[in-house]
Amino acid sequence: MKAILSINNVAKSYGPVKALKGVSFDVPEGSVFGILGPNGSGKTTLLGTLLNVLQADGGSYEWFGGMQPDAARRQIGSLLETPNFYHYLSAVDNLEIAASIKQKGHDDKLRVLEKVNLLERKDSKFQTYSLGMKQRLAIASALLGQPKVLVFDEPTNGLDPAGIAEIRELIRQLNREGNTIIMASHLLDEVEKVCTHVAILKKGDLLLQGPVDEVLRSEDQIEIKAADMAALQTAIEGMQGIKQVRPVDGALQLSADGQVNTQAVNEYCIGKGIVLSHLLLKKKSLETKFMELTN
Amino acid sequence: MRSLLAIEWLKIKRYTTFWVLAIMFTALLFLWNYLNSSGLLKLGGPKNMNLLLNAYKFPEIWDNVAHWTKFFSGLIAIIIIILTTNEYQYRTNRQNVIDGWSRSQFFNAKWLVVFVMALLITLYTFIIVLIFGLANGSSYSDMSSHAEKLFYVMVMAFNYFSFALTLSFFLKRSGMTIVIFLLYAYIIEIIMQQLLNWKIDWKPGNYLPMQCSAELLPFPLLKTLQSLTGQVSHGPSEQTLVITSIIWIVIYYFIGRAKLLRSDW
Repeated sequence: MKAILSINNVAKSYGPVKALKGVSFDVPEGSVFGILGPNGSGKTTLLGTLLNVLQADGGSYEWFGGMQPDAARRQIGSLLETPNFYHYLSAVDNLEIAASIKQKGHDDKLRVLEKVNLLERKDSKFQTYSLGMKQRLAIASALLGQPKVLVFDEPTNGLDPAGIAEIRELIRQLNREGNTIIMASHLLDEVEKVCTHVAILKKGDLLLQGPVDEVLRSEDQIEIKAADMAALQTAIEGMQGIKQVRPVDGALQLSADGQVNTQAVNEYCIGKGIVLSHLLLKKKSLETKFMELTN
Repeated sequence: MRSLLAIEWLKIKRYTTFWVLAIMFTALLFLWNYLNSSGLLKLGGPKNMNLLLNAYKFPEIWDNVAHWTKFFSGLIAIIIIILTTNEYQYRTNRQNVIDGWSRSQFFNAKWLVVFVMALLITLYTFIIVLIFGLANGSSYSDMSSHAEKLFYVMVMAFNYFSFALTLSFFLKRSGMTIVIFLLYAYIIEIIMQQLLNWKIDWKPGNYLPMQCSAELLPFPLLKTLQSLTGQVSHGPSEQTLVITSIIWIVIYYFIGRAKLLRSDW
């Protein structure tokens, strides 16, 4: 797959705080690419840098294989952090300004307003909108002119549960139509539900990245006990496919790759002359994995 | 360039605050000149003496009206400050760039607004001069002398407004920028000017950012008063003042540009 965006070693500091420490990854065309991380991990800083409102200290990025950045941004629909509009203008007037800058989408205003259910309030001033409506207008503005790439920073911020479901469905639908979506979120659940790819950030470092089903695959853990714990530990550490052995509460907790299951562990131990007194499969939730990764 | 201005116009045309201030300026300047020229407003002795009345005939009317335009142009500078700091307050400066403007397009769009406002204020001054000059019985043939004042109005307005614009780029908040602008324009610079001119022969106070343009449009009665009291001051030539004003404008342009291109938004 062609990369729509290539990020190469982008770094950014705010005084002594290193917000991004040399982040690199590619966003494949046609993906829903989630940038996942807790608050303060550098998600918005990364998007702000890619959209030229922040200046990177180092590294480079390329949209559409090296298109001139201003022209590239006109091809991208973006919502960064908060909805930014002229408070004293109506939704339609605000969209007119956005369309003029993008040089497209002048005849698209009503379609996008309908898409986010704001058509009835199209002539109301932005300052009269609720938080959720402001967020919807920001999404509408991003959709102007049907861009092929959309950047959403926390797109479901401030929306009620029905609104959240609608926006997620909208993102899936846009993706089905062939658009690429880059979306930052601190909600694991959201990324898991809508994204095809993910990059996980923590304090400015890129921890992991790749297709969601690889990166966020839930790892099961196996817990074992035997009469001679020391012998058990020595034996099990020699088993193929065991990645980590940790003593927890008088038992051993095993992290294993996909090949190893409880039956294989039991067979292996019997083969080594150890009889297990305790053998338990613990399903590990994604949530736990995310917490482990980011804490 | 036209599209930059067209987009700025979209931001302005339905902005009530802009229209209120703009109409206030237009009305006040007209009314003030009317009150002066009709003799309703008086400065001077009890009976027929009125120092303000003198100059509503060509060619002195140029000096007079141009001075009053300078006096009221602070209102337009405040409009510039509000229009610019709004972008920071609403974070629409970011949105404009996210939507596809380069940072320098945003910057130049604001400079174009400043330039157009300076042009409009010059045009309006010309209209007022025409109305009151002709109403006071002068003819077109008397008009040409002192007409350079109109050019000085343009220089003054462009200098004042670009100064206000640059302050807005650095301070970003409307209230603070307006207060600092007014404090500087009406108090700080005057004190600085007096202090600098006091003991230094070449009168550096006259070259301060706003003073260099203000000197081009002095209170017309000042000359009369000075000649009465025998205290004729010799400031820099008008040509020097125009060049100094232009140098300041160029400085504002480059420091504002450096700031906007390099900093985070």
